[in-house]
Parts: sequence; structure tokens; C-alpha cells
Amino acid sequence: MSPLLELRDLGVTYSTGGDEVEAVRDVNLALEPGETLGIAGESGSGKSTVALSVLRLLPKSAKVSGEILLDGEDVTTMRWGRLRAVRWSSASVVFQGAMHALNPVRRVGEQIAEPIRLHTDLPEAKVRARVTELLDQVDLPPAKARSYPHELSGGQKQRVMIAMAVACEPRLILADEPTTALDVIVQAQVLALLGELVAERGIGLVLITHDLSVLAATCRRIAVMYRGEVVEEGPGDEVMARPRHEHTRALAAAFPTVGDPASRFAPATTNPLPPEPDRAAPDAEAPGLLAARDLKVTFRDRHGEVVHAVAGVDLDVRRDEIVALVGQSGSGKTTLARALLGLQRPTAGSVFYDGRLVPTSSAGLKEYRRQAQLVLQDPTSALNPRHTVYEAVAEGPRIHGITGDERSLVLEALTAAELRPAETYLSRLPHELSGGQRQRVVIAGALALRPSVLVADEPVTSLDASVRGEILALLLRLRRELALAALVITHDLGLAWNIADRVAVMYRGELVEVGPVEQVLLEPRHEYTKSLLAALPTGMARAFERGV
Amino acid sequence: MTSPAWQRRRTAATDLWREFRGNRGGLAGLCVLAAIVVLAVLAPLITDESGLDVISATGTPLQPPSGEYWLGTDVDGRSVLLLTFWGARVSLLVGFAATVLSVFIGTLVGIVAAHFQGWPSAVLLRVTDFFLVLPSLVLAIALSSVLTKGIWTIVLAIGVTSWPSTARLVRAQTLTIESRPYIERAKALGGGHAHLIGKHVLPAVLPLVLANTTLVVGSSIIAESTLSFLGLGDPTSVSWGSMLQTALSSGAVTAGAWWYLLPPGLAIVVIVLSFTLVGRALETVLNPRLKAGR
Repeated sequence: MSPLLELRDLGVTYSTGGDEVEAVRDVNLALEPGETLGIAGESGSGKSTVALSVLRLLPKSAKVSGEILLDGEDVTTMRWGRLRAVRWSSASVVFQGAMHALNPVRRVGEQIAEPIRLHTDLPEAKVRARVTELLDQVDLPPAKARSYPHELSGGQKQRVMIAMAVACEPRLILADEPTTALDVIVQAQVLALLGELVAERGIGLVLITHDLSVLAATCRRIAVMYRGEVVEEGPGDEVMARPRHEHTRALAAAFPTVGDPASRFAPATTNPLPPEPDRAAPDAEAPGLLAARDLKVTFRDRHGEVVHAVAGVDLDVRRDEIVALVGQSGSGKTTLARALLGLQRPTAGSVFYDGRLVPTSSAGLKEYRRQAQLVLQDPTSALNPRHTVYEAVAEGPRIHGITGDERSLVLEALTAAELRPAETYLSRLPHELSGGQRQRVVIAGALALRPSVLVADEPVTSLDASVRGEILALLLRLRRELALAALVITHDLGLAWNIADRVAVMYRGELVEVGPVEQVLLEPRHEYTKSLLAALPTGMARAFERGV
Repeated sequence: MTSPAWQRRRTAATDLWREFRGNRGGLAGLCVLAAIVVLAVLAPLITDESGLDVISATGTPLQPPSGEYWLGTDVDGRSVLLLTFWGARVSLLVGFAATVLSVFIGTLVGIVAAHFQGWPSAVLLRVTDFFLVLPSLVLAIALSSVLTKGIWTIVLAIGVTSWPSTARLVRAQTLTIESRPYIERAKALGGGHAHLIGKHVLPAVLPLVLANTTLVVGSSIIAESTLSFLGLGDPTSVSWGSMLQTALSSGAVTAGAWWYLLPPGLAIVVIVLSFTLVGRALETVLNPRLKAGR
């Protein structure tokens, strides 16, 4: 029997403005019914191109070579009518970013029914019954069929996308980053749902993601793509436990296992970290360098209802320590950070810096900002596209009228942020730099003011896996070398395990658990922390296997 | 460290020019405008100003075009060509001056309304709305009939009434820029209002303002002609609007003196068309949203 999907020497070339870009090269993969195949890779590795090529959904500028056999039939030579029939009824796609893949002005029930109506002649009543059945399969109440996309949460939208994908009972589902924008708990639910579908119906599933740990938890076989080629392929456990290719190793290390002592204080980096300096450990009882006391921030939403974004938070960030603030999106993490930096006026409560109340006047705040600096999530938009690296880094010192040699100050900050040799970066513009380099420029801009505490809001979320470890290592190095304190906001528990000294878990505007990393992550007390940890794809099981 | 910045600006300007050159309408408009501006500036050198004097006029009234007077003469026996020539000076002066005033007010109000949330923004927006719904021509007529007659009264009347659309545009653009994370970063670095506006908002808004300015010049020239045509202009200086007005009031139209009406009318059409062509071309080059659709 021929496999469900077989790619033979698949190559895809994009022609953009006269240039030929080889996006995918010599890809050979096969998938049997009832199997799951994971494709991992960074952005630009060609993994999405592979998925889209299966249904010939690539743009016109793409040239496909090789064979794509779906049930033994070559997709590349199919006539238009046959292709239309194949799309959705024998293979379907769960698109990346459920937020944008649904039509905002149509009810979701209608959208699920669309492929059924296109491919079958079922009477209207049966179509409706089928939609109800599909919603039931993805654990959504039938009444949700009458909702519009904006009335659903991210996880619910993703489930609607899955219901759409299975509507015509395809034998193959291609899921392109189905969980990327989702929180860990929702991610676990969506992955479980996909796994059930595979087990119950014997369909084939191709799961594409940049997160190897997701694949390890769900896929029997994993293929790792790098620069358009499959560099490694094999059983999931084996690829995770004994990665052969260097790139697989980098990807695997980027998503550390919580509880694994090998990755504690050891983010994936190529440069060795300095040893822990011989300083007295921060006094656990002393008030923090940056401290919040009963901090509250409330907003009014569109309907005039009060939203408690931050509902009474006590938090200390001490000298020479990194605190990770962990929580789901919407838990109030970013609002708390903005309030700590004086970018958001708190409704009640106070922020202290070095024992003194942080002023609310603009002159007082300006002085405070020399001490507490911000690193934003997306370095691409955090830099003014018109400003050179030099201007971006010198911006802070210029605002504060810092005297002295500006050029050497900038060079020093760039070197501290590990952009070496610093001179070569001075006159470059943000678009000429990679994502990791941009984030380093943002960090250098903050360092130029010689702050004593850094607040980093999801500093690595928008970066590729291999860069992630380097930026985390930089934060850890800055703490060890300059005793720079940091509050790192993240939804990623692995990050906390990688670099933080203490963790604060935030849930619905409140800190539910604060303590040393080992204590909170290995012996969680609060239910919410436990559910966060249980939802990690790798789970705690693997760590326990190794006897931690 | 200005050298890389200047170098970058120069390459940006070269790129801009290359794209602008690709737009044939815009290029044609620019050539016509350059010619008109040069001629208007050189008018005192290449023509004799005394020909504008009613008393020393040499021709007979309402003479059709001939070898001596290429475009004929007006009711006072003056050369229509000479009048059109000199009228360009007033029209351009008023057009540019009114535009500078209008764009200045508009940009200031737009940026302030977008940057400062709360009551200053609310007040400014209501004022903008007030000027936006008011028929600006009626307001300009009222203004120029109350104030003393003269070129600067017309400039003031046009400038004070035509800024709201610029303000709206600038406000929208400022709001887009201010929602970018790099503004948040600049705030966290300690940047005050002046820093945010001067370093980040203004450089990003200016290209749009420039394109808008070119379009405003055209409408300012029309407004000037309208006000002069209604007899609200400076009676001592010749402009295209006032030429049309005298033509109408002196019975040149009923006398069939087409050569008296057509030159100023066509001149207005040509100059406004040129400004519009250049403005639209600049807009497509500078506004990324318009470019994407092509």
C-alpha cells in the first residue's frame, strides 16, 4: 500500500524581482495513515512552504519541482477540477494564526459548513447536523455556531479551525503552527484534540512548528528543517534525546525541560558564561531595589465595566537577581511592568525604588528612568526605522544630557550588549540587522544609561529559537558581571528555569505564588502553577525519568 | 556623526526622485510649475511694469489679439498678456503664503491633538470640527470684508479657514506613529514631549505633510482667485481673479472679448492642475499605503 503522503525530491523556488530564492530543496518525506509527522524549523526554514505546496496553495511566483504524491496521485500534475476536489475532502490545512484565518463578518457555523456545502450535496438540515457534530468533536457547545469569530477566545477559534479542517473527513491534515499564539494550557488542549483525531480516525497529521517540545509530545516522527533542507529525521524520542545535527541541538536546547539541572542557569549559548561571582547572596528579607506595594491598576473597558488588570501586587526585585514574572496573556503582566516603570499611573498602591517612592511628576520620573530601563518584546518595532544604531543607542544619553564622550559611551554599551566589533554597527539601520542583533541594540540603548534594573517584556518571544538562548545568556551575563537586576516577563516557564533566581506567577491580576525557581517550579503549591506546569508539552515526566 | 545620517538622507532623496520621475503626470506638472515660477520671478526684468498703469496705457480698449498685443487689450487699453504675466506673481505669492500658514496651523493642531490625550485633544478636535463644517469660503469672505483690503488679508482669510483637513491628516498619522513600540521605548528612556515629537513623530509625519502642502497650494490659488473675483482682493494689484472680475463688470463678456477672459482662466486651470499632479505624484511616492495598492 502506498503511503498517504509522499514527498519526493520536493524543491520550491520563489522568484522575487529577478532573483531566484530556493526556499525548499530535496525534501523526501513519507506519512502513513494514523501517523503523525512533525516538521520543526525556524522562521524561513521552508517548513510552511512544504505544507502549502501539498495543496498547491503557494503563490504564483513559486516554482515546484519533484513529486508530491497524495494517495499515490501526483498533486503537481493534477488538473484544476481534480485539485479542487482533493482540497479539503482528502487533505486540509489548519492555518497559522487562527485570529486572521476566520472571516470576521460571518458566523463560525457558516464557515464550518462552507467546505461541506462545496464538496457534498447534503440537504441543509444534514449540513447543520454535521456542523453540530463537528463542534461537539472539538468540545464546543452547538450554540457557538451562531457566534462571530471576535466573540470566541483564541483557543476556541483554533478549535473552530480544526472543526473546519475535519469537516469533509479528510485523510490528511496539515497543521501549520496551530498553537503558536496560544497559552500553554490552551495549547495542551488543542494538541490533545489533534492527537485524539489521529487515534480515533486513523488520519495522517503533519504538524509544523518551531517548538520542538510540542512535537516531541505529540509526534511519532520528527523532521527538522534548516535552510530549506531536512537535516534530520527520525523517531520523536530519539531526535529529542540524541539530536545528531547541530541545528536540532540548538532547537532542542532553546526549549529546556523544566526541572532538568543541565539547563538551570545555562541558556543555550555558544560563548561560555562567566562563573557566579563571589558576592553575598541577596538578602532574602531586605526590601527590593524595585518594589511594588499593594499596586493596583484598573481600566474601564468599552462597556464601562471596571477591569482589574493589576489587583494588589506586592513584588520585590533585589539587587543582583533576575525575577521571572510568569503568566498567561491577559494576566496583567505587561500592565504591572508598565506601572513599575512609571509608564502607567497606578490606580492605587505605590512603587519604591531603592527605598524611596517613585515620583509621578515628569521631572522626577525622568531621573528614575536612568535607573530602571525597559526592553520590549518585538525589537523590530521597538527601534525607529529611520534611526541608525548609533542614534538609537545615543538616544537615552542625549535625553538625559549625559556629558562626556558620546561615541565611546555608545561603543561601550554596544560591546556590553555583545555586538562586537561595535564600530561596524554604528551606522547601520535596523532593517539591516537580524532579529537577535536588533534586540541587542535595544538592550544596548537601555545599558547606555547605566541602569541598575532592567524590565524586559517577553524579550525573546519574537526571536528565533537559536537566538533565544543567546539573548537570555546576555541577560544572565549582565547580572553576573554588572550585578544588573532584571524583571523578565514571560509566558515561558523554561525561560524562568534557564536564567531566573526567583519566579512570580501572575494569574488574573494577582501574584499567586512567589519564590525561588526550584521551589515554585518543582514543588508548586498553587493550583494555577500546577496547571501551567502540567500543560508543558514535555511535562514533568521526562525530568522525573532522569531522576531529578 | 551627522555624516551617515546625511548620507542616508541623500540616498533617500535620490530614491524619491527616481520614483517621482517614473510618474509622468507629476513630472510634467513639475516642469510647468518650474517654468511659471521662473517667469513670475523674472517678470520685472523682462517686462515693463509701467504697462500696468491705467493712465499710461497705450492701446485702445478691448482690442482683439494682434501683432502688437498678442492677447489683445483690456477695457483700459492695457496688454492682457502683461496683466496675466503679473497676475501670476500675486496668485503664486498668495497661494504659497496661505499654504504655509494653513499647513503650519494644521500640523501644529494635528500633532498636539494626537499627542496630548485628554482635554487639550478634545478641545482642539472640537475646534477643528467647527472649522471643518463651516463653509470656508463664506468665512473667508466675511473675514476679508471685515479686515482692510489687501493681499495679506486674503492670505490670512485663506490660511485660517483651510487648515482643518491638514490637521485631520496629521493627527491620524501621528496616532499611527505614537502606537509604535519605539515611542514606548523612547518614553522609557526618559524622553519628554519635545523629544518624542521632534525626534520620532515629526520626521515620520513630514513627508505626508509635504505631499499635502502641494495640494493645498492649488486650492489656495483657487480660493484667492475666488475672493478677488468677488471683489474682495487688493484693488491696487493685478491678480487673475481681479482680471476676471473687471472683465465681467466692465461688460467685456457681452462685448465678446474672449481674449480678456480666457488667459487668466486658463492660467488658473494650468497652475492648479500642475500643483495637483505634483501633489498626487508625491503622495503616491511618499505614502506607503497608496503604493501597496498599485
